[in-house]
Amino acid sequence: MNVFIKNILRFTVILLLQVLILNKITLRWWSEPSGFPIFIPYVYPLFILLLPFETPVWALLILGFIMGISVDTFMNTAGMHACAAVLIAYLRTNVLSALLPRNLSEYSGQHPSIKSMGWMPFLVYSTFLILLHHFVFFGIELWNFSNFGALLLKVCVSAVTSMLFIIVYLLLFTRQNTARI
Amino acid sequence: MRNFILFIRRFFNLILFLGLEIVCIVLIEHTNTLQGNDIVSSANAVAGIVYKKQSDVVYYFGLRKMNDSLLNENATLRKKLDLLHSVDTLKDSVVHISITSNDTTKHVVKYADYLYQTARVINNSTNASDNYITINRGYNDGVSKNMAVLSGTGIVGRVEHVSAHFASVLSVLSAKLKVSAKLKDGTNGFVVWDEKGADILTMIDVPQQISVKKGDTIYTNNFSLYFPPDIMIGTVIKTEVEKKKGMQIISLLSSTNFHKLQYVYVVDNKMAMEKKQLEDSTGKSK
Repeated sequence: MNVFIKNILRFTVILLLQVLILNKITLRWWSEPSGFPIFIPYVYPLFILLLPFETPVWALLILGFIMGISVDTFMNTAGMHACAAVLIAYLRTNVLSALLPRNLSEYSGQHPSIKSMGWMPFLVYSTFLILLHHFVFFGIELWNFSNFGALLLKVCVSAVTSMLFIIVYLLLFTRQNTARI
Repeated sequence: MRNFILFIRRFFNLILFLGLEIVCIVLIEHTNTLQGNDIVSSANAVAGIVYKKQSDVVYYFGLRKMNDSLLNENATLRKKLDLLHSVDTLKDSVVHISITSNDTTKHVVKYADYLYQTARVINNSTNASDNYITINRGYNDGVSKNMAVLSGTGIVGRVEHVSAHFASVLSVLSAKLKVSAKLKDGTNGFVVWDEKGADILTMIDVPQQISVKKGDTIYTNNFSLYFPPDIMIGTVIKTEVEKKKGMQIISLLSSTNFHKLQYVYVVDNKMAMEKKQLEDSTGKSK
């Protein structure tokens, strides 16, 4: 499949998944009345994480912005998601080149995935960027750093949950090449 | 000049990054004002249509619940109607005073003029720190900003963004919305939400000496520019005394079930503009 069509499809699937299903899920880890704030898993940064290796940074930025602003439109958070998404789109290349053994230009025609990078590097890559994304997003949403511990707790807990959903998504939507020889 | 172009080419990515971030920050800034942007909100046509399609599917699963809630609402309305109609037959003489429109002495609230419209909820959130509801009515149907939104059982929120066919409503479950409310005995205070869950509201600014019992009902009062008076907000579940200010903090169980909203009423207060202008001109607006 053409890489453009593939990514447009992925954009639509991830956006609808985020907006129509995940936004309706309310999660809380323990339910005392004054306990932990409720949160929802954010899977849409995965679209930015999975763009091909050779995507230029300006394209990453613009695609990240479009993804963020679409989620913002659906969630009435004007700009908050876009802000976090643009940041991780900008840092993506640096994180990738720090993690991969070879130069990025040598991976032509591939995109970051468990198959092309291996489990550990991919998990480190996505966890780092997801944590950063959540930190920026919840920071902007709360905009009150007097209770920094609670903010960090919320970021960590929802990043772990988002990562679980991301791994489930990857396991579901990665084609198993070993099955057909 | 050549150096300048080289500079731009060298730092193009950084400049683009900073530019996009500035756009985001400007957008965030704008939503926090009352006349925020309508494009990046779920009142936007595309988001509205997607949510409408989803609601068309999910709608059928809630029909039974909706039926029940409408029946309950009918019952309450009938009860109220009967209270207005019933005549004490044991009294000897029934005096019937017809009220004309010129009559100003009998009715304290003469200039209350509310227009109720029904709307269907096509998207609903309860888990963000500012929750929004999208409804399938826009300015083509006469919905405009700052109209109150009620459910059959209580208050829901205030219209914030409007497009041609959709509107997004800032729900009471938000730090941005503060509703003036009163206790059964008429003590006034404010109802806010402090993220304790989708059915717990908090009433603040109630003096310490007022006795509040568990199960008391809280209503909207006459002060609000948008909400009609005497709409139920919730029932008291817990009271605490805040020592520093000498005020009570009352936890309420909201009478609206925000998880299961299907139909709401959009209320247009025709007198809101006039009242607001008057209050602004005296410089004591709330």
